[in-house]
Amino acid sequence: MRALLDFLTKYHHWLLLILLEGLSLVLLFQFNHYHNSVWMTTANTVVGHATAWEQEALRYIHLGEVNEALTRRNLILEQNNEVLTRQLQALTHDSTWTERKQAERLRDVQLLPAKVITNSVLHRNNFITIDRGEADGVAPEMGVVCGTGIVGIIFMTSEHYAIVQPLLNSHSRISCRLRGSEYFGYLRWEGGSPLVATLDDIPRHARFRVGDIVETSGFSSVFPSGIFVGKVAAIENSDDGLSYKLHIQLGTDFSSLQDVSVVQQRFQSELRNLEQKADSLSQ
Amino acid sequence: MLLTALQRLLWMTALVAAQLFVFNHVHLFGYATPLPFIYFLLLFRLGTQRWSILLWGFVCGVLTDIVSLTPGVGAASMTLVAFIQPPLLALLVPEDAIEDLRPGYDTLGFWGYVRYAVVLTFVFCLAYFLILSFSFQRPLDLAISCGASWGLTLLLCLIFEGFHRAHE
Repeated sequence: MRALLDFLTKYHHWLLLILLEGLSLVLLFQFNHYHNSVWMTTANTVVGHATAWEQEALRYIHLGEVNEALTRRNLILEQNNEVLTRQLQALTHDSTWTERKQAERLRDVQLLPAKVITNSVLHRNNFITIDRGEADGVAPEMGVVCGTGIVGIIFMTSEHYAIVQPLLNSHSRISCRLRGSEYFGYLRWEGGSPLVATLDDIPRHARFRVGDIVETSGFSSVFPSGIFVGKVAAIENSDDGLSYKLHIQLGTDFSSLQDVSVVQQRFQSELRNLEQKADSLSQ
Repeated sequence: MLLTALQRLLWMTALVAAQLFVFNHVHLFGYATPLPFIYFLLLFRLGTQRWSILLWGFVCGVLTDIVSLTPGVGAASMTLVAFIQPPLLALLVPEDAIEDLRPGYDTLGFWGYVRYAVVLTFVFCLAYFLILSFSFQRPLDLAISCGASWGLTLLLCLIFEGFHRAHE
């Protein structure tokens, strides 16, 4: 207390100076609009900067916690992303890209749009009826495709209708290959899920993996090469162990099929006649 | 003591009145406005209590502010000068000076007094115009106003001191 009194006695003129200058400044800012506005503006700016610095400092101090939270969040998002990516792949079959590529592949052939009249996926040998027939130029052995892949082959025709033997028929055999390689086999359906078929006779030295694309080989006059069929879903050995048997996730969802196109290749009849002549000669 | 206070009151009244009726109306070239009421602080004797000078300076500044419509400007400037006057005077007086020496041409010598007046009037004018403008938007105008007013103020203080000495 005595020290405080000594201090006040010794430096009283400093305290008085501060007091009187403070009073002067109060007068200055209280009764001068210009000084008041400048003071308020400056004070607001200074306070704003100080607050900003304080916030920056606090943010910096809390960066560790933020980092931990972000790491946790990142892990959760990565897991979600993985799950959603798998679900998306399973649901879409890459349909947009497929449709675009499909259109490119079918640029040189004539496509006849048709509506599906009857359809089934529940039997061992399913058939599809479309509203196009001989009057529209449809003939047996013509291919049928849709926006997401191949559908089947024209089996019988009438004047205005045609029966399609789809992939989902035990007698269906369509020559297919793995995209990017020349290894081919025959696609057939063994019953069960309408979304899965099998590709037989892929040689054991072929290199591929799950997810690879399967497309038409073009080894017949029915389908041009490169039409999307599906993706490799699983790999197993064939029954005789000499080749691979691939389970193919089909691009075409037969259970919701409504719009298809009949593939009319320009020299299909000529090519078929030639093949039949060659067969007869060989026999 | 009472006489001294009365004398100070008279000087203060006279200088504030002179500022109100004469010097506030002088704006030489639009820049120079003399502020000779600072002479009031130049009068304080050596050894005067600092709190006393501070209070007198503050009151004189407030009165000048009232008559000049510059609230706070004169008060702040005069208080600042009142704070530095005692140590400055102690620095300039001869070592054998009497305790209650009154600063003037006769006690400090002509150039000694000029130095004393130059420093105090300069500090005063600088503080006064800085507070008045409260901005560095037009530094040249500020410097001219401050410099010209300082020159006039200094001149008037020296003249006042000449008359004061002659009167005594």
